[in-house]
Amino acid sequence: MITRRIQYEIAGNVVGPFLTSLDKWRKKLRPKKKGPKKEHPFGPPLESVNRLKDIMTRYYFQGRYADGAVPVAWVTSGFPVEIFRPLGFWTVYPENHAAICSVQRVVPELSDVVEKEGYARDLCGYARADIGSVMTGKTPVGRLPKPDLLACCTNICQTVLYWYRALAEHFKIPLVLIDTPYVYGEAPEHHRQYVKDQLLELLEVAQKITGKTIEPEALAEVTRKANIGSKLWGRCLDASKNKPAPWTGFDEFFHMAPIVSLRGSDECNDYYRGLAEELEDRVKRGVGGLKKETHRLMWDNLPIWFNVRGMSDLLAQNGFNFVCTTYTNAWYEAGKVIDERDPMGSAAKAYTHIILNEDLPKRLSLMKRLAREYDVVGAVLHSDRSCKPYSIGQYDLKDRLQAEANIRVMVLEADHADPRAFSAEQADNRLTAFMESFA
Amino acid sequence: MRKAYIEEQKSRHGRKAVVVLPVHYPREILTAMNVLAVELWGPPGPPRGPEAGRLQTYVCAVVRNALAFIASGGADVADGALFPHTCDSVQGLATLAPDFGGWKKPAFRFIHPKGPLRASSRAFIRAEMVALAQSLATLGVAPPTDDALRDAIRLHREIDALKLRLADRRAYLPVNDADYYRVLRRGEFLWPTDHLNELRDIERKLLDTPAQKGIPIFITGYVPEPMSIFDVVAEAGAYVAGDDYAAVGRRVNSRTELDLSDPWAALVDLYDSASPCPTHSAEQAPRLAHLDAIMQRCGARGVIIHEQKFCEPQLFDVPALRRHFGAHGIPQLYLEGELESDFSGQARTRIEAFIETLSSPRSAA
Ligand code: SF4
Ligand code: SF4
Repeated sequence: MITRRIQYEIAGNVVGPFLTSLDKWRKKLRPKKKGPKKEHPFGPPLESVNRLKDIMTRYYFQGRYADGAVPVAWVTSGFPVEIFRPLGFWTVYPENHAAICSVQRVVPELSDVVEKEGYARDLCGYARADIGSVMTGKTPVGRLPKPDLLACCTNICQTVLYWYRALAEHFKIPLVLIDTPYVYGEAPEHHRQYVKDQLLELLEVAQKITGKTIEPEALAEVTRKANIGSKLWGRCLDASKNKPAPWTGFDEFFHMAPIVSLRGSDECNDYYRGLAEELEDRVKRGVGGLKKETHRLMWDNLPIWFNVRGMSDLLAQNGFNFVCTTYTNAWYEAGKVIDERDPMGSAAKAYTHIILNEDLPKRLSLMKRLAREYDVVGAVLHSDRSCKPYSIGQYDLKDRLQAEANIRVMVLEADHADPRAFSAEQADNRLTAFMESFA
Repeated sequence: MRKAYIEEQKSRHGRKAVVVLPVHYPREILTAMNVLAVELWGPPGPPRGPEAGRLQTYVCAVVRNALAFIASGGADVADGALFPHTCDSVQGLATLAPDFGGWKKPAFRFIHPKGPLRASSRAFIRAEMVALAQSLATLGVAPPTDDALRDAIRLHREIDALKLRLADRRAYLPVNDADYYRVLRRGEFLWPTDHLNELRDIERKLLDTPAQKGIPIFITGYVPEPMSIFDVVAEAGAYVAGDDYAAVGRRVNSRTELDLSDPWAALVDLYDSASPCPTHSAEQAPRLAHLDAIMQRCGARGVIIHEQKFCEPQLFDVPALRRHFGAHGIPQLYLEGELESDFSGQARTRIEAFIETLSSPRSAA
């Protein structure tokens, strides 16, 4: 345990930072490509990208040594992790890891393994990738620490519960659940009470596992930081209300990693403070995410992780920029509600009122508000084969948005994780036709 | 036929009718409030009306067909619709149809907690049941008195007890699967006393000696659609000795002791002792033990796993089921459907071939 703890500390504080600086040096020393520079439609790259890489590399690198050194919890993206932080848990986000698997295009390989075990290809690609990674030990991040606890919250979907239950069977470890009743209209009192009661139950379990007690001040402090982090993230998103937007929606997808994985930490907040300042500075100087932003769009649903590059190139070449997305916005909306003065009560409210846990009229009004505030002319609704909760209702949302927000809307059939459920050619053709409709 | 029955229930008994989406809901509350529950499992076959197109084709046929059906007026005879918190797809339908069109009458939701009951979820489900009764009262019916609720619980306990007796003595019942399951499934829309009478009629047919001569098999799955599955099984020389269909056997509660002094607490106890179901997100180990127990009781020689395509709750359990049956040397057949009106030739052949292997001496051993 002590040796493991030393390894873990060295990994996080010495080797991790060393590796990231080594990588930077290597890049600097690499001979510059000769010949004329290739023209591209994007604005100058964000400087924060390097810091993002540092943070996430160190996070995953130190994580390799976390098990045996500190308690490890695998958690869903919408889980109230504030409770875990003061207890010293290392948290792993299988969804974030699965997104990396998708970017690296290893989902089909991992999925093949689980499909042979009987998991249907129709199930969420994140779940298939993650279970496949657990079964094979293959991961693009080197190694994921084994969990002591699985923690899942149904505020994004019920799939996570089935997925985590499979993990619990595999690892033979406890699974804690925060079951958040779906909100139709307003959440009645007994729904809020239920979530709050579960948070108290969670507190007990987490304390039992670690043998530590959470001091109320410590919980309030993490809550305060998570609230600040969410607001900083919101500040970054808000920067795109300016014209031109200082970054693209595709940038947002990648820069959301710390608010998902490190919410409630100083590291997360420092990062977003820097990013917000950089974006605001770009706004002042009129520097855009695209060299020439002609059309502003909204994106709905998860990104098509394995094709972000291809799509962003195609859109950017034509001056189209996703200046807001319902997905990245989710981490702003919820986090700003949590309040250090009532960590449990406010968390119950915040984590219940998540876009995916609210009815379609709420979703429509959010989209209309985003469309208005970001002044978009159109929207692309990604109909994500892997994610039913996010996709159900999109055909109606399309019609309503067109009529009520007066914007042009298309539904794009794809998948967020598995390239086998996606035709790049067809998607490009549809997007091109959509862009042409603005001519 | 259902429509005529519902109309008769309304006019003759002054009942309200509520169309109910799958799977679990406290039916006793509806009974106690004189509300007829009419369940909607699809219906099977191609979607009835164009509105299924409002949902992606990767959403299960149960939900797509339900939207098409209610949006085309198929359920207009009902006074309201109840959407239990079964899965992400029913949950989506529960806002899509009432909020964006397709269902104009009152919509009720029943959110049941997931996972094993804890102190928090016990308190929650009780409050949710009370809230359901209050919202059903908006139909113009009185909220249930404790006595009415006790009577309803007793009535449904009697039905379940009778179903269990029939299931236990399935081999002694000289009724083929198609007819037997038709009667069981009529409980999806009959008033409980009518259903009980039909079950009693069947019980009277029980013999002292085995009446089923075929190979006993067990089916676990979602809903027995197409119903011709029973004919195909019978023609191949087998019979369904036990089932764990979410629509049928799984909803029969075997709890015998129940304290009715507080009927709401009794309903919570009933929920707690329901058969393990993936839509409650039951843990896999108790579910597998439960299936083993049924299989042993009914002496099944093989198992058919019969699922709906795109059904996340059920499909996530399939690997565990297959591993488990495989490890115990139990022959198994996996079938996946989309509420077709009938089986394809290929599916029929697979069922027939499977049953043929069960009749071979090796698998019988
Ligand atoms: S992608 Fe959708 S279905 Fe998959 S885990 Fe996320 S919210 Fe759930
Ligand atoms: S078949 Fe499965 S996904 Fe469809 S409604 Fe039933 S439980 Fe939900």
